Amino acid sequence: MNGSALRTAYQTYDALEMAMRATLREIGVLLAFVIIFPLGFLFFLGQIATPSLRAQVLVGSVMMEMALLNINVVAQGIGQDKLSKLYDLWVSFPISPVVYVASLALSVLPFSLGSALLTLAAGAVYFHLNLIPLLLPLLLGLLLVWASTIGIGFLIGVYGRSPRAINSNAQFVGIVMTFFAPIFYPVSVLPLPLQYVAYAWPLTWGSSLLVSIIQGAANQVLLASLALGAYAALWLVLIGTGLRWRQV
Amino acid sequence: MAPASGGPPVLEVRGLSKRYKPRKRGSPTTLANDGLNLSVGRGEIVALLGPNGAGKTTLLRQIAGQLLPDGGTIRIAGVDMIARPLAAKERLSVIPQECASSESLTVRETVLLFGRIKGLERKTATQRTQEILVEVGLQDESEKLVRELSGGLKRRVLIAVAMSAPAAELLLLDEPTTGLDPEARRSVWRVILGLKRRGLSILLTTHYIEEAEYLADRVVVVTHGRFVVHGRVEEIRAGLPYQGRLEVRALDRLSPEARRRVDALGQRWKEALRSDSYVRFEIPDPFSRETVSELGELTSLGVRASLSPVSLEDAYLAVVGAVEE
Repeated sequence: MNGSALRTAYQTYDALEMAMRATLREIGVLLAFVIIFPLGFLFFLGQIATPSLRAQVLVGSVMMEMALLNINVVAQGIGQDKLSKLYDLWVSFPISPVVYVASLALSVLPFSLGSALLTLAAGAVYFHLNLIPLLLPLLLGLLLVWASTIGIGFLIGVYGRSPRAINSNAQFVGIVMTFFAPIFYPVSVLPLPLQYVAYAWPLTWGSSLLVSIIQGAANQVLLASLALGAYAALWLVLIGTGLRWRQV
Repeated sequence: MAPASGGPPVLEVRGLSKRYKPRKRGSPTTLANDGLNLSVGRGEIVALLGPNGAGKTTLLRQIAGQLLPDGGTIRIAGVDMIARPLAAKERLSVIPQECASSESLTVRETVLLFGRIKGLERKTATQRTQEILVEVGLQDESEKLVRELSGGLKRRVLIAVAMSAPAAELLLLDEPTTGLDPEARRSVWRVILGLKRRGLSILLTTHYIEEAEYLADRVVVVTHGRFVVHGRVEEIRAGLPYQGRLEVRALDRLSPEARRRVDALGQRWKEALRSDSYVRFEIPDPFSRETVSELGELTSLGVRASLSPVSLEDAYLAVVGAVEE
């Protein structure tokens, strides 16, 4: 690791410590609700889903939490900082934009991961699935899903004209990506042209990855991992090159 | 505009310009600033004065690396802000206009963590934070959450954050005391002067003329994105065609004789401002024998009159008024 990367890592750690302390003090109680929130979807959809779709329902509930929370926290965090002018302060710091965005996203990662693990555990009991041997691949898959959606929140946040617009856009995009992207149902049920559109969304690949891990489809796991990794790398490059960080 | 002090400038701006693109296609672009040149020397305070929308904040945002200029160069301690923003940002600290700090952190956490992010050595960060808190007078508030502080103390927290940058040589303050009561404003002024004594160069914007007069070594008046006047406060004052003012109060309670006498002054001196109870005349030389004698006679008639030299506010209003006309 060269000096610059090491410095970015240290700065990210410090910024994360700051964001975590603020997050826990501001919305600590709310985060407890956030953790159990996906269980409602799991139990409701589990009742009406056919047995063949149960893995999809379980993955959909987990994905909704990982994606929605990640997109909303990053976008709304930027919106809040723009409102208080803290965003201007961050931009004037000698840091990469990656430090700022990563600290926002990482500050809720423990809660979304906790929620995902709780939902997976509940799903395993509810649907009689043995997920213990798959725990590590699922955890890595969840991290890939998280990394592949950071940039969506960043784009909404930095291009939003006002904090109100950013909040609305984040919720709109989150809901569209959660319910219209094929995460609660397999992509194969869509008409072919829409399947191509669906594969442009990282959530489709995320859902495909987690379902494939549970179903043991190794080829699909590899393909989806590569796609999600490409999304994560793309966001890293876009954020790191200061896309709209310094305004034009 | 060269700095008053010798040595290389800490801030050097050359030919800076910015036009905002229109939101609707076909609408004209908005000129934010146009060919600005400015230097700030080591340990110097320069104040930017100007009406709302004059381009002061735009200039500060460009220097801070928050807004990319269309043309020109910005060098912070010799480092090009446009080509090498990260290196240039290490040499400057910024307090944006009406910026709030992280409200849910304590004062100590805020200064410590921001300081570490800005490059304070981890081993020395705790000690340096304590020194800064003492320096800005926040040691008794250090364990309080920022949200529990008054507006003046919150401003001091931001100044403490700005001071935590280990290599900063330039401080940019955008309206540092807007919204503060007079006492809090003066306490912030004391901190700013303390930073100047430590050798920090400061560029600030303000709407308070007395703030510029009290703090600044040099003043720059900005309107419509251009510098219209710049120099030391006394140089700007000396540039006015009159050097004093005669003010008469309680005009509506004067005797008819005294009222005639006051009204007759308008034939000798330019009347600058009048209301039912107040009138102000512009005097070429407020300390001439003739003027002082006139003041004595007015006072003997029971007129509440006073003489004073021109202020920076007079000069500012004259300059901005002339540009607007």
